[in-house]
Amino acid sequence: MTPRMTRRSKIIAGAVLGLAGAGMLGSILESGAADVYLEAARPDFQKVPIGILGFQDGSLPSRPGKEAATVLAVDLRRSQVFAVADASKLGIALNGPNAPEKQKLKQAVGSGVKVLVWGTIGTRDPDYLLDRFVYDGGSDEIGASKRYVGSAALLRQITHRLADELVARYTGEPGIARTRIAYVSEQKGARELFIMDYDGHAPRQLTSDGFLNLTPQWSPDRKFLVFTSYQSRTRQNIEIVDLSTGKRSPLVSLAGLNITPAMSPDGTKLAFATSQDGNSEIYTMEMQTKALQRLTVHSAGDLSPSWAPTGKEIAFTSDRGGGPQIYLMSADGSNVRRLTFDGDYNAAPAWSPRGNWVAYVCRSEQRQYKICLISPDGQKRAQLTSGQSIDDSPSWSPDGRHIVFSSTSGGKTQLYMINSDGKEMEPLTSSGSHNSMPAWSSAEIQTVDAQPTEKK
Amino acid sequence: MSRACQTIGAVMMAGCLLVSVQGCNKSVEGTSGSKTTEQAVVKAPVTLPGEERVSDDIVVAKAEPEAARQRTEEMRQEAAATAGTGLQDVFFGYDSWTIIDSGKQALGADAQWLKANGGKALTIEGHCDERGTQAYNLVLGERRAKAVRSYLTDMGIDAKRLAVASYGKDRPFCRDHNEDCYQQNRRGHLVLRVK
Repeated sequence: MTPRMTRRSKIIAGAVLGLAGAGMLGSILESGAADVYLEAARPDFQKVPIGILGFQDGSLPSRPGKEAATVLAVDLRRSQVFAVADASKLGIALNGPNAPEKQKLKQAVGSGVKVLVWGTIGTRDPDYLLDRFVYDGGSDEIGASKRYVGSAALLRQITHRLADELVARYTGEPGIARTRIAYVSEQKGARELFIMDYDGHAPRQLTSDGFLNLTPQWSPDRKFLVFTSYQSRTRQNIEIVDLSTGKRSPLVSLAGLNITPAMSPDGTKLAFATSQDGNSEIYTMEMQTKALQRLTVHSAGDLSPSWAPTGKEIAFTSDRGGGPQIYLMSADGSNVRRLTFDGDYNAAPAWSPRGNWVAYVCRSEQRQYKICLISPDGQKRAQLTSGQSIDDSPSWSPDGRHIVFSSTSGGKTQLYMINSDGKEMEPLTSSGSHNSMPAWSSAEIQTVDAQPTEKK
Repeated sequence: MSRACQTIGAVMMAGCLLVSVQGCNKSVEGTSGSKTTEQAVVKAPVTLPGEERVSDDIVVAKAEPEAARQRTEEMRQEAAATAGTGLQDVFFGYDSWTIIDSGKQALGADAQWLKANGGKALTIEGHCDERGTQAYNLVLGERRAKAVRSYLTDMGIDAKRLAVASYGKDRPFCRDHNEDCYQQNRRGHLVLRVK
């Protein structure tokens, strides 16, 4: 599989998107990388077998080499692109900064590993320097080394960056190891916003209001969050917070309930639900002019808009048929049609970044609240989670391979990640009394350094 | 390397070098694993040509302790003031916002209290049990609060004295996972406003 876009065009696409404040979705869909994904999603897709030989750190007291190797292995496994081999069985011991003997690398490839990665970690106060080397069995070459630098506190992030580079190299797509998840956490009886790394590490508190902050969603450029913030007992706004400065500003302050904001994929519009008309209706607001457009006109409740990656359609929850169900409509409110018909409770839709699925909360025959998937044409449906719990608020990783959601399966409401095929559920939060409403950021805008080194 | 990339890189590099000229004079330690002496003085970070800097791109927002303290204090005062009124809450069936008989009795007494205390105003909070999604429960909670308000206005209470709010399932009265607890949380909670 040879990446179709040239390196140069990807860099330019990334820069243009960055300037326009748009996310990666457009570039993924247009670049043809979606074909790569379809291949990866097939059951018979062969993961790239990779061996991590380790990171020589000259026995720095903090042992960064060991941690980097561990973080990288988990990142690569989660990427679903690589099968990580047991390094101890490769029979290659790193010896200082020197590359392992080519002969040994070749032997490892002979035993089934296709790619070998190793590195060194040194310091240059106040930074760590991580030099990485990659041997590709297909080309039989150790490519040019690459050096990442970053403060010692960012060792995990530096390693995530390397994982993303490897994913990009073998798929042409940005990886997700440097994405983040925003969520709601209970603090002293209040609901506050937090942001953590995609793997649950480094949770950081974003609000400290002592009341309710709910339904966070990212801007496509991942520089802002939009969310519902209760200003008083009875007044709440949809606010936007600039993550680089912490500055918060109100976006929507209509009378009544203003909830479930979602920015359009191009960042120009905000869809949300408000009850200013008496019951909950979906509106969009132009981010530039603040001009409002009402999309739904119905005496039932309409809420939780989720944009298709094209920006042309919106999935939402409505109980116009009795109980809550998932509906679709065009972005101007026309062409409303019901998507879900199984069961009497379906809510909280999240359109996948690939466009091929809508994740949502379904109520199972056992009357448990589970995560389900349905194709936008309604033809395919799957229940991802099972068991006795209340699962809620599904949100997709930007590569479309994972879903984060909340679940009470461990007693308290905590966040979990699951593959979009329902496998490998793993907890992301375990402390605190309540963590919910997760929202996965878009991928980092970066130069995708895809190299056509792979041969079949 | 493409021209576009070189240009961007050059701009970034110039920026880095400008802010860290002193740091750039420092000799670069190898990455051979040789132990580096810990320096007491924090040096400015340097990014040299060919290196890629990984930085943290999120600044955590500042806390608002004063706003939080004020709101908490106000809610404490409201709870204390409400406790002395004898106002009764209204409870609902599962996934329902219909006022049932017990609720009508409670609201009859509440209406009498409101008529006898003409200067007082209430906030009606709608609450839900933990089942269902957080977002849909916000809508359900608002329906409950508005059902209570409608009932009271039908009994002659001025709607201006009755603000509504929905907290969905996010401010529960009870945290167990059983029907007794769920019943406690499916509620229209009447709170006396203090300002």
